[in-house]
Amino acid sequence: MSNHVTEWLNAYFDGELTGKRLHQVEEHLAECEACQTELEALGNVSGLLHEIPLPDFPSPERFATQVNLLLPQKRTPPPQRSLFEIGWWMIPVGLLAVWVFISTAILLGDVVSVAKNFGLLDSTTASFISAPSETAEVTSTLGQFGMLQGNSLQWAETTETITRSWFPQIVLYVAVALLYLIWIVVWWTRHTRQLSGSLLES
Amino acid sequence: MDHYSVATATAVNEAELIIRAQNGERNAFSELVRIHSRGVFNVVYRMCGDALVAEDAAQETFIRAWQNLSSYHPQTTLRNWLYRIAFNAAMDMLRKEKRIIPTDIEDMQLTDERPGPESQVSQHERTAMVQKAVLSLPDASRAVLVLKEYEGMSYREIADALDIPIGTVMSRLNYARKLLKEKLEPKLFVKMEVEHV
Repeated sequence: MSNHVTEWLNAYFDGELTGKRLHQVEEHLAECEACQTELEALGNVSGLLHEIPLPDFPSPERFATQVNLLLPQKRTPPPQRSLFEIGWWMIPVGLLAVWVFISTAILLGDVVSVAKNFGLLDSTTASFISAPSETAEVTSTLGQFGMLQGNSLQWAETTETITRSWFPQIVLYVAVALLYLIWIVVWWTRHTRQLSGSLLES
Repeated sequence: MDHYSVATATAVNEAELIIRAQNGERNAFSELVRIHSRGVFNVVYRMCGDALVAEDAAQETFIRAWQNLSSYHPQTTLRNWLYRIAFNAAMDMLRKEKRIIPTDIEDMQLTDERPGPESQVSQHERTAMVQKAVLSLPDASRAVLVLKEYEGMSYREIADALDIPIGTVMSRLNYARKLLKEKLEPKLFVKMEVEHV
């Protein structure tokens, strides 16, 4: 009989298997004498372990009194959340704040642009609050020197304008999202390091 | 009151006691000692194999717990947290006592080595041999074995108590049982089978 289930016998013996894995081990055990013997040996070892008696131990009340007398008078102060922990939980809050700030700034910029286009802002206010111009300065300069002409000049101007207006926003969003993702991964790793329950299932 | 209600009430009560003890209330801590003393003693005794050393280790466990109670977080149960301290205390005690317990059972001789029904292995010899076999296991494997066999903890609880992954719990337990079987089988299992004939 091949494909013995030896590596799962302990978990089976301890009642830790579930799902497909449990079914697989049970099916194998029904047919394999070697694994049945191995399982029986586990039972024998466990039985022997439980033959070791516990010695007399002071009653819990007496022991608690003894310990109380031994406790040092001064103890470390009551729990305070460490700065590291507070800082750790502030990371997602900070990232969320950055995200909201960027979105608000972009939205306000768009509103100002629209207002400016419709002539709702006087020239002084517009020049005070409007964002730097998103013209294709580089392309224009290249055009002046005759390095770009016709369709290629037009295409380059459009590309530069879009890049100037959208690229920084995209970079910021991606950076914030990436940092948040890294935080989640670290958090997940810390909290699920031991919870690999699926290992026991299938 | 059903079992769930009792368990919940106990957990709430323990949580209250922990907070009070963290604030320096010695009586609250004594109550926690009273609740967990049996479990801690059981664990350290199984790790040390000596009642006096175990009692010292149990006391040391609770003193360390009192001194470090501020670092306890409820993500881990108090029992698991205490067991982790208990293992360290037990190991320190064993080092201090310079491991007076023999590390190998090969040296042990049974009073009657004759195979067959006339074998007269006394219960006392059997338990002594099993205990020696347990104590000869590597510390890490013994810790997992003790929590599983004597405390009946699940793999997940053991992983939490010892701060190791579940996969490591499984491999250490497999290894401990395999070693025990190898050490005890030639001396005890054959005789057990013969006795049953």
